[in-house]
Parts: sequence; structure tokens; C-alpha cells
Amino acid sequence: MGMDNQAFIYRMFSKFYNENIDRIETPKSIENREFGFTIFKENVMIRHKGFMRAEDLKEFIRKTVPSNVYYSTAYYIMPEAKMDEKGWLGSDLFFDIDADHMPTECNKIHDTWTCEKCGLTSNGVTPKKCPRCGSESFDEKTWPCEKCLEAAKVETIKLIDMLTGDLGFSISEIKCSFSGHRGYHIQVESEEILKLDSTARKEIVDYVTGTGIDAIFHGLELINYGEARILVGPNLDDFGWRGRAARGTYEFLLKATAEDLKRLGLKSRVINEILANKNEILESWKTSGPWNMVRGLGLNGWRKIIQRGISLQSAKIDTVVTVDIHRLIRLPGTLHGKTGLLKVSFPASEIEAFDPLKEAVAFKGGEAKIYVEEAPKFRLGDEDFGPFKKQTVSLPLSAAIFLLCKDAGEVIDSNV
Amino acid sequence: MEHSILTLSDIAKYPFIPEASEYVKRLDFRIENLLDENYAPILDRAEKRIIDALTTNPPKVSFNPREYSEDIEIISFPVAIVLVSALANEYVKKRYALAEARRAYELLKEESEEKIVEVAKKFGWRIRFPGEKIGLVKFDFALNFIDYLRNISALSHEKDWKLVNRPVLRGEVHLSRHDVARLLQEEAQRYIEAKIDPKARSLIPEKIIERLEKLRQAYLDKMRESPAESLASVGVVSDAFPPCIRQLYEAAQSGRHIPHVGRFTLTSFLIKIGMNQDIIVDLFRKSSDFNERMTRYQIEHIAGERGSGTKYTPPKCDTLQTHGLCPGMDDLCKRIKHPLTYYLRRTRSLKRKAK
Repeated sequence: MGMDNQAFIYRMFSKFYNENIDRIETPKSIENREFGFTIFKENVMIRHKGFMRAEDLKEFIRKTVPSNVYYSTAYYIMPEAKMDEKGWLGSDLFFDIDADHMPTECNKIHDTWTCEKCGLTSNGVTPKKCPRCGSESFDEKTWPCEKCLEAAKVETIKLIDMLTGDLGFSISEIKCSFSGHRGYHIQVESEEILKLDSTARKEIVDYVTGTGIDAIFHGLELINYGEARILVGPNLDDFGWRGRAARGTYEFLLKATAEDLKRLGLKSRVINEILANKNEILESWKTSGPWNMVRGLGLNGWRKIIQRGISLQSAKIDTVVTVDIHRLIRLPGTLHGKTGLLKVSFPASEIEAFDPLKEAVAFKGGEAKIYVEEAPKFRLGDEDFGPFKKQTVSLPLSAAIFLLCKDAGEVIDSNV
Repeated sequence: MEHSILTLSDIAKYPFIPEASEYVKRLDFRIENLLDENYAPILDRAEKRIIDALTTNPPKVSFNPREYSEDIEIISFPVAIVLVSALANEYVKKRYALAEARRAYELLKEESEEKIVEVAKKFGWRIRFPGEKIGLVKFDFALNFIDYLRNISALSHEKDWKLVNRPVLRGEVHLSRHDVARLLQEEAQRYIEAKIDPKARSLIPEKIIERLEKLRQAYLDKMRESPAESLASVGVVSDAFPPCIRQLYEAAQSGRHIPHVGRFTLTSFLIKIGMNQDIIVDLFRKSSDFNERMTRYQIEHIAGERGSGTKYTPPKCDTLQTHGLCPGMDDLCKRIKHPLTYYLRRTRSLKRKAK
């Protein structure tokens, strides 16, 4: 990022915090939280900061104008002490749902990656290893597209459903926010979960992701029926994972192709019978279920099919984040240094209608003229922009800052 | 305190509940009383509780209401706790807590729903017995899922204990009587372990310390159980270790220096074959730079309970050769490429031979 760009972004962030400092949401028990910041000049993280009062935190942000502001999900006796001397008191239950970690309809075609070693560059999901030189370090440019954000929202809704319906948290205990980039954060601040250790949190992670689940614990079994042995299974309206397994299986079979079924290792005769009787199979769910309808498809075959259904119903979260009880997360009401968008909180009950690319726009009014090297089409608020390639454009301030934060261009002029 | 349905004989069965210690307080029992001949049956029973724990396998303290009065049964429990504390032996502590907890488990399984709930509530559990039928199975109990999670950490490697494989609705896990009793065993074991405090030794009259030393002498072989021996009971077969692991294991036992890769190899190997983490910690105890917290942290890290969550596997044979950790191959080594494969094959052939 050129010096001018950085100075410009810094000036805009500073102006924003001066005018909107009260948008910052002070976390509960601020005196027990650790804070961390990245600053524009040096690209380093300042950690182990603590604040006794909300005013002190706001004053600090206004004065230093950080590029990113983080705080701990954990509560400590001494948040400023060294890691092993802080005195851990507990930690909120936190989930990160990021489009980076899930397959999306757009296939991330808008993202680019460049191998740091050999310079090979391409579009889409960054590979694990460079196909040309085998190196594992890449320079990535990622963009939040509508499809990415929608995919993340769908996962978040599934997660909220499990947290309320299964785990019994009330919807008002669940804090929901847009991360300011490509995902959502879910935070539960209930007293109950504060003391849970990483092992217990891992069980919660496995629960919401359906990891280690087996249909035989959710109603799939062979029972004696008079002289015969028949298969029974979960119903669509069962609660918890039982119902989810059934609904996922229904969803999977509704769209399943011969190819999908073949991947499960089913015999072609069985596959043909499933496909030929698809409607009857789907209909059967209204009565006793499809478990005994396909000849040659027994407990183990169904087990594999249900497994596919389960993966459709699981919530794709970043599993590492939730089990980490010392994690720093972005503070709501602050700006994301890579987008200039706000991390904004909203009631979990309103997620369906929430429009992240509208609600997270921080900079209102003003324009800037910038040279754009390359950017895909994107939307902010109600307006679409781009795609751009090697051109100079006048843009609303929010769009200009978005591109500059993404390091996709150079600032030329601004009326702000 | 709210009205309790627990009788004196219940308190004798579950002497770790608060009513038991209140009862002992009301009797104005003091540890010095044990010097009095009249209290000899209590001291005998307390000693018997410990001996039961050391001599049964799997460990379980006996329950014999015809032989012991309720008073003896109730008072001998805190006395046994003091005695175990004074023995100051980590192995005895764990073994005793487990034996008492298993005794409680066996008794709880047979109790009415009301009684089970009453005992569970002593530990602050949020539990009800709606007796709901889910699918074809009737689940007697519904337990708050946080209380469930707090008690499955030693069990959740078993598929059927994982939260995701349980019926969970509105914050409650639906459980059978057997499952609730099993979870209470976990809770009781933790509770009893926490009660055992080596500092208690200073409170004990000299005469009783002498008796305790006799006990120690009599069961020395049991108390000194080395990691390798206690493993036999949990299913780790040290005879099946490949030469590289055996060499590292012996080095650790005798406190010799082991390079980082070696420690990693040994630890990840032992975790993979299911050795208890406490026993692994104990194994490194003799090392000159031993630091319990650090060791525990590293073990948990390798087990995938910390950091990225990756469960580490020991390096394969050619990597071990690269790092100079292969002491030379035996016949079986020549046919395999990984120390875990060696272990698997060897355990199988040992089993076959045993038959």
C-alpha cells in the first residue's frame, strides 16, 4: 500500500472515530478484557492492553486510530499481564462463520492468489500448494460477494437454530454481528458457559458441525417385526439432530444424481432403484419413511446416505476459534482495516432480513477519485460498482475506501 | 435446607453428600477419637475402604450393610479421606477416588428416579425425570447440557457419549438411568479427588501415622505401581513397543535426557495407543527439567486438545532414522514402515500366543 493511500485511509478512519465514537460497543466487564490493536504505520499487533472504563477505550481509539480493534472473548483478573499470569476467569462462547471456510456458489472466482515464490497467479480458492513450484505461501486478495455473504448467512441461521432449539439459549442471549468482511460472528455471553474448558467447547463444536455423528444413535436401527427384521429411521419432525438427519436426507435425495449416489459407494442396481422410485421415496416420509423401500439398501447403505444429509444440515463454522478460550475478536462498532466496513451487531432474530453490505457502510457522503488496478463488480448500500481494470474513477467515499483498503488502487483526489 | 428424601441408609451409601458431613459434625467426631478403643471399628472400616481400592480390579470399595452399621459407614469415609491424604501418593489418591465413585455408581443404578435426582442435585445438577419416549426408546432423565459436558471429558472419546450422538432438546440431554449413574460416578470421582489433600497429614495423631505406615508396607507393591505396570490394566501393552519407542520409554523412566523429536515421538505414540495423560505426565517426572504445567500443555497439544486441534501421529520409520532415533531394526521392523503398525501387529500376535 502506497504511503498516500495509507495516510488517506488513516485520515478517514480518524474522522470516522471522531464523529462516531459512540457506535463502539463496550464489551461486558470491560475491566476484565484484554484488548489488541493493529496500527497503520507498523504492521504489528499491540496486545495485552486493558481499560477500566469505556471512555478510556474510546479515547485510546480516537487518539491512536488503529487499523483494527480486537478484544478477548475471555475475562481475566489482570488482562494486561503476560499470558500465563493473566488469571483466566472464563470466556464467552464464540463462533466465527466465514465464507473463506465454506464452498460457495461463486466458487470464489472473484478472489485472486499469487504464489510468493514463483509469482504464479490465478483466480478462485487458494490451493494448498502452488501447482507450479509447490510453495505454500501466497498473497491473497479476497472479496466479499453477495453469494459468499449469503452462504455465510445460511450457515449462521443453522447455527442460531441449534443454539436456541437444541442447546436452549434464548435468542436474546445470542449476539449476532457481521464481521466487516466475509462472515458473521455469534457470541453467547451466558453465565453458564463462562467456565467451560476447551474440551467441552470442542463437544459443542462437534455438535453444531455434526462431527462424529452416526445415524445409528439417531433412530436408524433394525427391529424385529413379527417374523421379519425391518429397518426404522428418523422422521422429518423429530427434534434435534434426529430430525435434522431426516430433513437433510430428504434434501439430499431430492437433488441426488446417479453420480452423487455412486460416490457413496452404492451398487448401480441400488442407485437405479433409488432414482426410479424417487417420488415414492420422498412421499413415503409422510408415513413410515423410506427405510424398507429399496431392495439391497440396508442399514449400512442408509447410514451413508444419511451422513450426506447430515453434512447438508451442519453449520460450517471455523472450528479453531470456538475452542480457543484466549481468542481476540473484532470489537463491534469498529472498522475493518481490510474493507473500511464496520463490524455491526444486530438482533439474532433479524438475521434473515439483514443486509450486511448496507448496514456495514461506515462512510456516508463525500467522494474520492482513485485509480483502480483491478476489482470485480461489487455492491455497497444500494449501488453497484465495477468491475474495474486499470482505470481512474470517481466513487462515493465508502466505495473508494473499500478499494483502497483492499489495496486495489491509488488515491488521486478527494473532497473530504 | 429443603426437605430431603434421603434416609440414613442412603447417606451411608453416598457418604460424599453434604448430609453425611453434617451428620459427622453433629456426632462431634474428631480425628483424635480414633485413638479411643471404642472407635476401632471405624478405623478398621476406613482402612478396609483403602485396601478394597488397592486390591480389586477394576477398583471398587465394598458395600456390606449387614457387616457395618450406618454410623461406621458414614464416619469411616471422611477418615479414609484423611488417611489417603496422609499417604500422599498420587496413584493411591486416584485409585481410591475411582473405587469410591464406582461403588456409588453400582448402588445408584438400582435406585428410584427420585433418589437419583436427589443425589445429582447435591452436586448442583439441573436434572428432571420426565420419562419421555423418543422414537422407540424411553429416556427417564433430562439433564442440563452444561452439566452433561462437565462430566463427559473422560468419556467423550467413546462415540455414544458424544453430545452430537445424544437427543438434545432446549438445553437438556435425554438420558437413561444407567447413563446418569455413570455420569454421577465421574462427578463423585472428581469431588473425592479434590477432597484429598496431603497437608492433612499434620493433623493426624502419631499412633495412627504408625498404623498407616504398616499399611503402606503391606501394600507397597500396589502403591509403587510404575506407569508400565498400571498400563497393563488399561490395555497398553508395553511388551509390544517397537525398539525405538522402548528405548525412548526407558530413557524417560530413568530420567535421561531426550531430544525434542524424541519426546514428541514418544508422547504422540503413547497418546495414540490410548495411554492416560496423567500416566504420561508421570513418566516424564524424573527428567531434570521436568515442569508439570509445561509437560501437560505439550501432551494436550499433541493430543489435539489445544492449539489447532491437530491430533499428532508419531513420525514414520524413515523420519525416525533421519533423526537418529532408530536403534536398529528387528525382524518385524523390516516388514513395516511405521512404529504404530509395529505395535498393532505385535499386540495381535501376543494375544494369539496368550490364547
